[in-house]
Parts: sequence; structure tokens; C-alpha cells
Amino acid sequence: MLINLRNIFKWVQQGGRRVFLLKDINLEVKEGDFISIMGPSGSGKSTLLNIIGMLDGFDEGEYNFLNEPVHQLKEKKRASLFKQYIGFVFQAYHLIDELTVYENLEMPLLYKKYSGSERKALVADMLDRFNIVGKKDLFPTQLSGGQQQLVGIARALIGKPKLILADEPTGNLNSKQGEEIMDLFRQLNEEGVTIIQVTHSKKNAAYGKKIIHLLDGRMEKI
Amino acid sequence: MYKNYLKIAFRSIWKNKTFSLINVIGLSIGLSAAFVIGIMIYYDLTFDKFHEDRDRIYRVVVDTQGPDQEGHSRGVPVPLIDVLQANRTGIDHVSPFFLFSVNKVTVASSQKEFDWPGDIVIADQEYFKVFKYQWLAGSSNAALENPYEVVLSKSRAEKYFPDKSPEEIIGNTMIYEDSLIVKVIGIVAEFEERSDFTFKEFLSRKSFQNSEKYGYIYDTSWGSISSSTQLFIKTDKFNSKDAVKAQLDALAEEYSNEEMVAMGYIRSFNLQPLKALHLNDNYGVFDSSPYRASADVLFGLGFIALFLLLLGCINFINLNTAQSAKRAKEIGIRKTLGSSKKQLVIQYLGETFILTFAAAIMSLFLASLLLRVFADFIPPGLSLDLMQNPVLILSLLLLLVLITFFAGFYPGLVLSHFKPVSVLKNQSVLDGDKGSLRKILTVFQFVIAQVFIIATLLVGKQINYLINKDMGFKSESIAYIRAPRSDASIEKYEAFKEGLETIPEIKNLSNAGAPPASQSYSGRGVSYFSEGKENHVQIQLLFGDENYLDLYGVDLLTGRLPLNDSISEYVINETLMRHIGFQKPEEVIGQQFKVNDKNIPIVGVMEDFNQSSLREEIEPMAFVQNSQNRTLHFSFQANDTENWPLAINKIETQWMEFFPDETFKINFVDEDVKQFYSQEQKTATLLKWATGLAILISCLGLFGLVIHTTERRTKEIGIRKVLGASIMQLNLLLGKEFMVLVGIAFVIAVPIAWWGISTWLQEFANQTALSWWVFLLGGLGISIIALAVISIKIFATANTNPVKSLSTE
Repeated sequence: MLINLRNIFKWVQQGGRRVFLLKDINLEVKEGDFISIMGPSGSGKSTLLNIIGMLDGFDEGEYNFLNEPVHQLKEKKRASLFKQYIGFVFQAYHLIDELTVYENLEMPLLYKKYSGSERKALVADMLDRFNIVGKKDLFPTQLSGGQQQLVGIARALIGKPKLILADEPTGNLNSKQGEEIMDLFRQLNEEGVTIIQVTHSKKNAAYGKKIIHLLDGRMEKI
Repeated sequence: MYKNYLKIAFRSIWKNKTFSLINVIGLSIGLSAAFVIGIMIYYDLTFDKFHEDRDRIYRVVVDTQGPDQEGHSRGVPVPLIDVLQANRTGIDHVSPFFLFSVNKVTVASSQKEFDWPGDIVIADQEYFKVFKYQWLAGSSNAALENPYEVVLSKSRAEKYFPDKSPEEIIGNTMIYEDSLIVKVIGIVAEFEERSDFTFKEFLSRKSFQNSEKYGYIYDTSWGSISSSTQLFIKTDKFNSKDAVKAQLDALAEEYSNEEMVAMGYIRSFNLQPLKALHLNDNYGVFDSSPYRASADVLFGLGFIALFLLLLGCINFINLNTAQSAKRAKEIGIRKTLGSSKKQLVIQYLGETFILTFAAAIMSLFLASLLLRVFADFIPPGLSLDLMQNPVLILSLLLLLVLITFFAGFYPGLVLSHFKPVSVLKNQSVLDGDKGSLRKILTVFQFVIAQVFIIATLLVGKQINYLINKDMGFKSESIAYIRAPRSDASIEKYEAFKEGLETIPEIKNLSNAGAPPASQSYSGRGVSYFSEGKENHVQIQLLFGDENYLDLYGVDLLTGRLPLNDSISEYVINETLMRHIGFQKPEEVIGQQFKVNDKNIPIVGVMEDFNQSSLREEIEPMAFVQNSQNRTLHFSFQANDTENWPLAINKIETQWMEFFPDETFKINFVDEDVKQFYSQEQKTATLLKWATGLAILISCLGLFGLVIHTTERRTKEIGIRKVLGASIMQLNLLLGKEFMVLVGIAFVIAVPIAWWGISTWLQEFANQTALSWWVFLLGGLGISIIALAVISIKIFATANTNPVKSLSTE
């Protein structure tokens, strides 16, 4: 079992009242899954994704990642789990504008203490695989949106994560670019990478093997 | 990893050029001040650090504790030398030397003459045993043991004997002042390291054994002290300085002067360690050097450097926390990619170090500029070359690291605490940041700038007050000329005086001693009877002829001038009159002072005037008439200044006629008076610079903050403009925020400046008023400067088309 969420609640205090962002979420994710989370704006999709990605905490419930109780772990251990197993893909790409494509790809490896030659090899592999060798010395602002997202995915993959979390990865792209990205996700999934994506689009959600619908913080059906 | 940090550092520095520049400029100004002052401190602290057994070398100094003052002298009574040399308990060497000057030295072989060679001392064989020189010729063994010997330093030997090698110079004959014939017996190399021992000619003391002219070299009086008589000792290998001190105490007791003790003066001999020689205000080093290191000055400079550095660091902290939103995205991404907080802080500190390093390089150039500005404070041997010293390089690096940490740690911490979720969702990361720390730091900056401004104004006011205050005598259009000391002929002097009397532009002429106010002092203790017992008072004496008081416009309140030169009679000033217990001038006439069993009657009372700088109170003083003086005082016809050069020319012509070999020097009394305040003038110059730099750094920081605010509020400005706000209204709205800070700074600065300046003014007997308008002027000044800085940016922003700013949001 990769992920096991049990009775997850998250709320904020607003004017003395609790406003629930997530209510009683129960979710099991096995390795090799491809899950799409759908729901209207404000239904708690991104919050759930961030909790899974350990970027955000929750107020009640249990979260086990590879049988480690995340809610009980110390910050340091959690960070190392996160570093080792999770890759993020964002709607707004979130590449660092001051770094070139090559350097952006290299950055996660720096935090994982790969040696220089290993980094070189891994980055070269990625550039090759995504057909962006020619773009390696360009800065993000010199690329199209689709190309930026390609780099974003490459960056998420470079550390060989077990799990890719994607927050509306195609939200800023046109339909053709979006399709290409989704095809890429499917292909990755077939290679064994677990993927959880948040999306608005039914068409994109259909790429997943499983679809979760969220409404007002509650899961509707599995 | 670090390469990546470095890359991103350079690129983000480059991206925020304005802010980086502000940071670098601010820091480099602070750093360059720190460099210069650091070098100065290092320079002054590394004098005479190389002598063998320097911990065992001491100078004997004399301290006098009086009833209401204490005195310190670097000179000792001459007999002390012989007593110590005869009885050396705990002492290895007793080395006396006398600072000496002659007007002419002749080299016998070439018959070449050298005027006023300088740096001459009279010493004995012990000198070279305490201070180890490298001998280029001759040897230290018996040097200066016999009469008529001289040891030359290398540079001096080369000057006197340009073509000869050291060995050839040995045995040559030199003639001092046409009468003293000596033989060169040794050549020593000058000390290469920093030293106050810069003497170049060493004459043997025994050469003066039978000299009448220089009898003081073998003076036998325990009572008189000359500051040129230096006595150094080297204690034995156990450094028994306590035993030596006990011996000195016993000697001070044994040879105390009963009369002085009766007047309440207690004299003691003390040991001054060699390492305390250079930085001691009480004694001074020797007397040849015009620059005197002072721990107080170094302290003051150190403070200024510290403040300037602080201001630079504050800019850094302020601008970077203000700008942090721009970096937030990068921080968020790095965090989702696995960076820890620690790594982020380290990365940020690295960036700060790059900026600090750039500032350091820039400040090296600025420092060479500052060295020129502060030339008055800086000893001649000091230059940036000292920066090559490893100790300084190391401390420079340490300083850079310290600054990096101080300036970069807080912004780094702020940045690393951003929550990646909110950053990446484009939520404002600065919601909780009300900028209160920034406000406090900005206030702090402006407090410093404000204190500097008020201090500068008040110091200027005080100097102005001192220079323009009526000293109580006439100082304009009066000048004086000193007759040459070397030519003692009275006839010549009288003839010269008569010559001057014929010059029509000269109104009054008086033969006298020093002018009424001067830096020279002659005085004596006198006794008087009052209420049935004998009292003592120290009075200053003023010498002149019957025209003197009239020339300087000093009025006689009552009585008369002394009758003639041969009878001793005093004309006293009002202060002395009150000191001896009289209120009315008429009553004191006929009272008598007792000096050495001789009675001197008071024949007149003159009005009070200041006898030295206005720092000092008016002291008890008496005017004595005598004709042994060699200074001619005269006044010009005040109104025709254009004819003065002509008159001075005539005087010079006269001078050349009588004293063709001497340099002509005319002194104006009002310039002398200004000279009293050269120390204050220096303080003022320094303060002006510090103020300018403090304002510059603070305003740069303010400018940065204004840019930040206007950028953040571009949308608000656009909306307000669309709704009809005028540029003035916008300016007021945005400027208010900053002007409040400047106002708070003013309120805090006023008491600090007031306290600081009143403390400084304590030194002055005559103080200018701490007027409220000076403080107000200071506040107004900085407000205007700040307002100008703020307005530049706000006007530019307010002038942009609102459509533009609103559409981009």
C-alpha cells in the first residue's frame, strides 16, 4: 500500500466557526494507480493533493505513506520521505526563471546529493527522453507553455519518484498541448509511476484508472 | 549545489540591479570607513612591538598631584638619572637621553653645512643596550661611552657623507654649532618596523660634561623638569618592577621639595610600560611628532565606523525583507523540490556574502579617497599598503563574514519560513508582515543621521562662538615677530626695533613676551597673607613693556603700570584680585605677594581677559614689566588692509638687513586665536563627513523602501487616480507613512543629541547655548531631504497612466 488516508479532517477557524475544507476523507492508493480528483472550485481538491504531498497538514485523521505514519513523523523524516518518493507538477509550471532548463532539471538532484557526474547523466537522459536537448540552455520565459510544462514534468521525474502529484497540469495549456501532456502521463503510468492528478476536465480525468469526486470537502464516490 | 547557488545569486542580484546597487553602496561606504579606521587603529596599536624584552622596558615619568589639579610629565629631573645609575636594584640598564636640537652641523671633511638637522638625541652607552639596533659599522659595545662621539643612522649618514660606505664614515669629524667637535664612531640601521624611536643622531652625553651652554644635561636640581629629559630603564630578568617602583617612591620622598609639599603638591615617579608609550594622552610620546595618537579620537572614529556599517546592514535587512515577495516563488519551488530551511538560509547567506564582497572591493577604492579626506587625522606613514598585512586581511574577512551574517540572517530566515503551498497558489506571503521591524530599523537609521546632523550644527555653532567671542583684548590687526633665538645680540634687536618704528603703517609697537592669549605659559607660585595666615596661589605671568596693555586694548581699572623695568611690581587681573579675597580694585592696591623672600607690591588692576583658548577659565594673572623680551608686537592701521602687504614687505626688508640668515615669520594674533580651535575644527570636519555619509546611506535605504511601497501599491494608486485623486494628494498619502518614521526618529534623536553635545561642551569653560532652533533646523533639514527622496519616486509612480497599472494586475 503506497498511501492510506483514514478519516482526514481539515478546517480553518473563521469568525469563531469551523469551516471544513476536508471532511472524513478515506483513500487508499496502491503503487501503479492513476487517480484523477475532480470537483468544482473550492471543493478541496488542491488541499487534498497538498496533504498527500506533505506540503500541508491536517487536523484530524491518519495518513500512512509506505506504512510510515506521516502525521506522527518529525519534520526531518517527513522531508526525506517527500524528497525520496514524491514529485510535483504544477498548473503554473513553477520553474525558476533565473535558471536555464538544464539547471532547473538539475536542482532536485542537488537537494538529493547526487554527484556531479550522476547529475549530468540523469539530466541528459531526461532532456533526451522529452526531446528538449536543444532547449537546455534557454530560460523558462523563452519557452512555450507546453514546453515549460514538459520541463516541469521532467523535473518532477528526474529524482525517480514513486508518486507524481499533478495540480491541474494542463490548466494553462491549449487542448493539443494538454493532450500531449496527458498522453505522457499515461505512458509514465504504464511504466509504473503512481500518479494522482487534480483536474477540472472530464476528458483529462478519464485518463485515470480511478476518479474521485469531491464536493464541499467530502468524497462522493470511488 | 554551491555552483547552482552561486548562479542563482548572480542572476537575481543582476535582476534587481537598483536594490543590489543600493545595498552595495550602503555597505561599501560603511566598510570603507571601517577599513580606514581599522587601519588607523591597527597602525597606532603596533608601535614598538619588536624590541627585545619589550615587557621589561619602562619609561620613568613624573606625576604631580596638586590641590586642585594633577600634572603629568614625560621628563624627569636630571639627578634621578645618576641616582638610578648608581643604584640599580632590580634594573639591568638605565638609559637616559635628551632630545636635542642644533641649528647647524658641519661635516669637517667636505665643509658642508646642514641647517636644523633634527632627530638628534644626547644619550649614553646604555641606550644601545636597551634598544637593539643593527650596526652597519662600529659596534654597540663601547658606543657613546666617551666624550665627543656620535652614532649616525643609515639615512643620516648617507645625507652627510653621500659617497662613502659605512666603514669609511667611521672616524670622520663633525662640528655641531661651530663649537662641539665629535667623531663618528658607528652607523646603525633605522628600525624598519613602526617605532616612535626615530632618532637619527646620537651624541654621547659626556661631550656636554663641561659645557656651560648646555649645562642642563648635567643639571643637579631635583626641582626642575624638562620634558626633553627622557629616562628609560630595563628591569632585570625577573622583571622586578615592584622593587623598582618602591625605590622610585623612596627617591620621590627623599628629594621632595618642602615648599611644594607645603602648597599641597605631591610628586611621584612612575613607570610607564613601553607598550603604553604611543597611546597615552597624559605624557605624549616625545615631542618631535606633530601627529599624536589619542585613544579618545580612535574611539570616536571607531564609533562612527560602527554606525556607518550598521546603517549599511540595516539597508540590507530592510530592502531584502521588503523584496522577499519577489523571491517567494523560488523559495516555494525549492521547498517542494526538497530543500530544507537550513539550505535556504545558507543559500541566502551566500548571496549576501557575494554582495558584501562586492561592497568590500568597492570600498577599497572609497577607502583611498577617505584617507585623503581624513588626512588631518592620519599619521603620515599610514596608507592602504598596510592592508597587505595578514592580520588585517584576516580581520577583514572576519568582518565580511560577520556583516554577511548580521545582514543576511534575518532576511534569510524570513524567506525560508514561507509556506510553499501559499507561495505557489499565489497567495500573498506577506499577510502577516506589517513591516514593523523595517519601520523600527528605518527609525533607528534616521535617529543616527539626525543625531549626526544636530551634532554637526551644534559643534559648528560652538566653534563659531569661540572664534567670535570677545576674548577681552584686541586681537584684530595685531601681529608679532619673534627675534631669532640664535642671535642673542641686544644691540641688533634694538636697532631692528627702531627700524620698525620708522614704518608709517605701524601704529603701536611693544617689546614683550607672548601675546595675551597664547599656548605658551609661564607662571610661578606666590604667597600672600590673608586672615592671618600664609596662602599660596599659582599665577600666570605676562611680560611686556609700558605699551603692551595699551596695544592690546586691556584697560587698567585702577592704579598704574609698573614704574620701570628694574623694580618688580605686579598689575594683577580681576580674577587674581578676587582669588586673594578682594572685591574692589581700589582696596587691593598696595597688597604684597611674597616670592622667594622678596616682596612684590600690587600697583594696578587690569580687566580680565582670556589667556588661552576659551575652553579654559580665566586664570589668576599678573603683568610684569621687563625688557628681557625678544618679541615685537605691533598693530597696523586697522582700516587700510590693502596696505598691509606693503607694510609687511617693509618689515621683512628690515629683518633681512639685521638677520639675513633667519627665516622671517610674522604671526597675526587673530589667526593664533583661531589656531586654538584646530582640534574642534577637525572634529567638525569629521562630523560633517559622517553626517553626509549617514544621510546618504539612510536616504538610499529610504528610497528603496519607497520603491517597494509604490510597487506594492501601484494598483491602489491607479484606482485612486481613476477616482480623481490629484498627484499632490497621492504624494501626501504615500509620503505620510515615511514622514511619520522620520518624525519619530527626530523625537528620539533630540535628547540623545542634547546629551551628547552637552557632554562634549563640558570641556569648555565658555559654552554656546543649546538653542531650540538648532534642533528644529536639524529636524527640518532631514525632513526636507527625506521628503525629496520620497517624492522623486512617488511622483514618477503617480504620473503613470492608471490604465497601464490596472490592466497589468
